[in-house]
Amino acid sequence: MHPMLRHPLRFGREHRFTFEHASQYLDDDLDEAGRERVEHHARLCPKCHELLAALHRTISALRELGTGPGEPGDSDVADGVIARLRAGR
Amino acid sequence: MTSTLAPPRVRQDAYVGVIEDQELVAGAQAGDEAAFEELVRRHADRLHAVVRRLVDTRHEAEDVTQEAFLRAWRAIGRFKGDATFSTWLYRIGVNEAHRRRERRPGPQRETSLEEQLVEPREPRPGPALVAQQRALHAALERAIAELRPDLRTPLVLRDIQGLTTAQAAAVMELGEAAFKSRLHRARLTVRAAVAGYLPEAPDV
Ligand SMILES: [Zn+2]
Repeated sequence: MHPMLRHPLRFGREHRFTFEHASQYLDDDLDEAGRERVEHHARLCPKCHELLAALHRTISALRELGTGPGEPGDSDVADGVIARLRAGR
Repeated sequence: MTSTLAPPRVRQDAYVGVIEDQELVAGAQAGDEAAFEELVRRHADRLHAVVRRLVDTRHEAEDVTQEAFLRAWRAIGRFKGDATFSTWLYRIGVNEAHRRRERRPGPQRETSLEEQLVEPREPRPGPALVAQQRALHAALERAIAELRPDLRTPLVLRDIQGLTTAQAAAVMELGEAAFKSRLHRARLTVRAAVAGYLPEAPDV
């Protein structure tokens, strides 16, 4: 029998815990017990399994935005700042 | 599925082994303009990259970046060194970006980041993966631009710029728990907005 049907209250509690701590889990920011709770629940709950996978892929893609090539002209930023500092002196 | 992401690296490698920021700050506090200009050269691009996603146009981002350094120069005597120079500078820049947004009349933005960065709706012919990647990145930029500022800033600092939780929370002058809560909400919102663009990845 599916665990959600066998222990509905416990399942709901673990579902909320996993939903709320998904980011911390992916940032490796949970203690051992918290990590095990998330992993145990995600094995039983397709929604949380999918949430963790999708958040992981979202975070990876966000990181790619930060490491991608800058916009053209970005190298002039420091020059612009320095010019404005000198103009103000 | 059970593996975790590696912690982000802070991109500070450009100036390992040369003069520390601290020494330049001390110089600037003594009135050495060249020392402060070296701090500008070290930090301007990264500050601009942060600010770029907090305001609407590239022009505004450059202006905010310049303004942040002007303020930093004027206030350098009051910098106590209880944060790093970059944390202190980011805080000035982020506050200045938020101030601009609040001052702007009405919710509508003239030229949005989205309009500038989004590729044409029909991706150019090319390898399917490249087109898929480009569509995902464009969808991310749209989703980020639509986030509330109090959720957007944590996401930009932590996930895009790669600051640690502690650094990013310090920039925002938030406790770590409050910061993590906002970051999580921001990620959930972005994830929902880009759901259709995420590649089907094998379980990790
Ligand atoms: Zn669940």
